[in-house]
Amino acid sequence: MTDRHAPPGWLRQRIETVGAAVLDSGWAARELWLVYVGTWAGIVRRLSRRHLQGRPHGEITRQLHAIGNRSLAFIAVTLGFIGMVMAYEACLQISRVTGDFSQIGGQLLRLIVSDFAPTLAALMLATRVGAGIAAEIGSMKVTEQIDALRMSGVLPIDYLIVPRFIASLVMTLLLSVLGGVFMYAAGGLTAKYSFGVNPGVFFDASQVRGRHVVLLILKATSYGAAIPVVAGFCGLRARGSSEGVGWATTAAVIGGSFAVIFLDFAISAAALLLTGGDL
Amino acid sequence: MTAPPPAAADAPAAATSTAAAPPSTAFIEYRAVSKAFAGQPVLRDLSLSISRGEILFIVGTSGVGKSVAIKLLIGLYRIDAGEIWFDGQRVDQLPERALAPLRKRIGMVFQSATLFDSMTLAENVALPLRKHRRLAWSAALDDARRRLAQVHMTEHADRYPAELSDGMRKRAAIARTLALDPEVVLFDEPTTGLDPVSARRIDRLIRELASRLGVTAVVVSHDPPSIFGTADRIALLYQGAIRALATPDALRASPDPIVQQFITGQSTGPMETPGF
Repeated sequence: MTDRHAPPGWLRQRIETVGAAVLDSGWAARELWLVYVGTWAGIVRRLSRRHLQGRPHGEITRQLHAIGNRSLAFIAVTLGFIGMVMAYEACLQISRVTGDFSQIGGQLLRLIVSDFAPTLAALMLATRVGAGIAAEIGSMKVTEQIDALRMSGVLPIDYLIVPRFIASLVMTLLLSVLGGVFMYAAGGLTAKYSFGVNPGVFFDASQVRGRHVVLLILKATSYGAAIPVVAGFCGLRARGSSEGVGWATTAAVIGGSFAVIFLDFAISAAALLLTGGDL
Repeated sequence: MTAPPPAAADAPAAATSTAAAPPSTAFIEYRAVSKAFAGQPVLRDLSLSISRGEILFIVGTSGVGKSVAIKLLIGLYRIDAGEIWFDGQRVDQLPERALAPLRKRIGMVFQSATLFDSMTLAENVALPLRKHRRLAWSAALDDARRRLAQVHMTEHADRYPAELSDGMRKRAAIARTLALDPEVVLFDEPTTGLDPVSARRIDRLIRELASRLGVTAVVVSHDPPSIFGTADRIALLYQGAIRALATPDALRASPDPIVQQFITGQSTGPMETPGF
């Protein structure tokens, strides 16, 4: 006997499809949260020395080098070019209105410190570092190396994500500062040679306040935490073979970039609220 | 060594489990275990007992759930229904952290060597020693070199897995598994991809582990010389359950057409193979 109140077949199928997607997203969010919490728990275990480190010494140093040193040229070039474009466009617009370049360097530095340097550096790192982490962990997942780690008594998060997390925290902050320096310097040179702006006028830090530096530190460390967690989570979810690793890598880049943009919005909005709009 | 149990020809067990089921007296016991992936059932009411010191081969067509069955024992996958017992303890519900002592007693040699690419062979073997035995890194490395010597890999101890052949990687993976002196070793297709000579050496190693050290071996394999030359008993997995469980001789003599098709390897017959 058929139920008169049951939805028609096509509607039932749509509901099931949407429901499955929602449930899957819910499970994924829960797993991402567990990876994040597990990473902090791993750091606490490492600090408290309640467990012996499975990995040979120097892993964090290796990750600092892989994430930081190997990204330096990439960050310097990309942020340098973005600084040139920003300074050129700003000078161009001002030259069409007032022609007064006295404020441009100071305002640009304020923006670089409070937003552009950490956010753009992190977006670059989300592609380079996030993809690398997801590919490495995803490959280990599909070749059963993660299972072998578990059999060896090692928690995969402690072994794979914690060193990358610590290295990413440190290096995202450092690269944000260095990227900001390259960005500002390239912008200053562009302003000088394109519009004849005096470097003494352009390189002006008077607009930067302590709260801008706090924002840089807060954003850079938040992004530095998000990138390896998202990438590690994507790697640990890899299934099947090389196709699964490819999916994990793509998801890590998209997820990491999205996390950076979202955190930028959230932290900036919170800062605006806390300062009453006086940023 | 404990003597292998008597042949139980063509005995698909159909035990059912309840919450009040008594503790298992077998060394390893699966009770009506079911497992599905993405809604697709892989194991259906699988029941199986394994004695201490026995060499049990689990055979069957590709994708039938052989590897899943052994990974369930050590918590690498979680069962959907049923019970798994090891040495009088129910192990299928243990949380990840509580599985560490179990994984110290049960080692696994994976299908691919699963050595960690960023580590030398000595470091690979040292890792479980350091984590499970709480050895200092230098002491673990010294012990690892001794373990590698047992599989004639001393001269390669400081090389990375990518620099070695499949057979050498497999031997190093076995050394890593045996480093903890496990009571049970799970082998997932240990001879796949190896030349015949290396494959027979692996078979001999499995035999020696059982006869000299009393190690229980559960081996997933597709390799007929290995299966019939090494096993005490053979379990044929078909459609997610045990179709036949017998000694090699009893299995050969089985009248079951499914069993006979698997043994003879005929492409036509009653056996349904997923994907074909």
